[in-house]
Amino acid sequence: MTSESTFREASQVHESWDDEQLLAALREAVTARQAVPAWFVDTAKSAYAWHNIDAELAQLTYDSEADLDLAAAVRSETASIRALTFTSPHLTLELEVTENSLVGQIIPPRPGTLEAQTRPGVTTTATVDEIGCFVVDPIPEGPFRLRCRTDDGIDVLTGWITL
Amino acid sequence: MRDDPTVVALVARAAGGDPGAWIEIVERYAPLVWSICARFQLSNQDTEDVGQNVWLLLVEQLGKLREPAALPGWLATTTHRECLRVVTSAQKSERLGTKLDEALQVVDKTAIDEEILVAERNAALLAAFAELPLFYQQLLSMLMAEPPHSYAEISAKLGIPVGSIGPQRARGLERLRRSAALKALGTDDIGVNIPGGEPGA
Repeated sequence: MTSESTFREASQVHESWDDEQLLAALREAVTARQAVPAWFVDTAKSAYAWHNIDAELAQLTYDSEADLDLAAAVRSETASIRALTFTSPHLTLELEVTENSLVGQIIPPRPGTLEAQTRPGVTTTATVDEIGCFVVDPIPEGPFRLRCRTDDGIDVLTGWITL
Repeated sequence: MRDDPTVVALVARAAGGDPGAWIEIVERYAPLVWSICARFQLSNQDTEDVGQNVWLLLVEQLGKLREPAALPGWLATTTHRECLRVVTSAQKSERLGTKLDEALQVVDKTAIDEEILVAERNAALLAAFAELPLFYQQLLSMLMAEPPHSYAEISAKLGIPVGSIGPQRARGLERLRRSAALKALGTDDIGVNIPGGEPGA
């Protein structure tokens, strides 16, 4: 798919193709499509279920694990807690991973409800208290995402997290 | 980026809540997202994560894309970014001594442009192919097969004389070449008309 010859052909897209070239290009398109596993396409199709859900998407903006080199240089103790931060236009979610649970706070602090959703659709619900704190216990197995709805109407969804 | 009216219409329909349009977008561009993940040699798990994030971001952005025609470019750039994030994170957490291939670290503009071109061309070819009459789809599929079918097999399967396979092949390809999908790609000047000519297979 990404071979040299592919690249060369692609840049010749405005030139005339004879029958052989056209058939070869068609074969390449079919082959590229067949190389994509069904699960990958299904995942993509099911993403549309999130359309019209009024949630803002929160991006991962900090991950202590992605910052290990710096952390190791700065800290003398090795046992550090993994910390993650997700940021959306209206809300920041700060998470700390403890042994069994996920402890977090939303900023600016306000009460609401937090859901951890796994791929198979299992949802764990936690209450977000007056100062924006919540605990998800136990930590969901496998990839999950958090959806936080505050009492004053902010709705935020994180990308997938695997711990 | 070319202005492909099909892509613009698909994005508008998907943004408006048409699941069929979304499925068509996915069918067209899943190979693009997949091929970028493959170039980064991601595991299946990481590929699934990247795919999830990319398509989810797109669902969110559907109504906000400034240039819907540039959708393939948006997808390619977003997929690269997500792949880099996964690769960089894995590299650091595993404390690998080896440096990630420098070529992958930089978002290679040329490589992305090429991937976009290939993706657009492939999408147009498949769309054009899908619009061909079933007979030509079957004929061209058999001619493209690996290992290739013999003319005798094709003749038996499609019920046409061996002698007409060559001319029909040329006609099928000519219809493909003249299709709206390929025209939208900006390949009007592809078309060298070879009416019924026997191709040098």
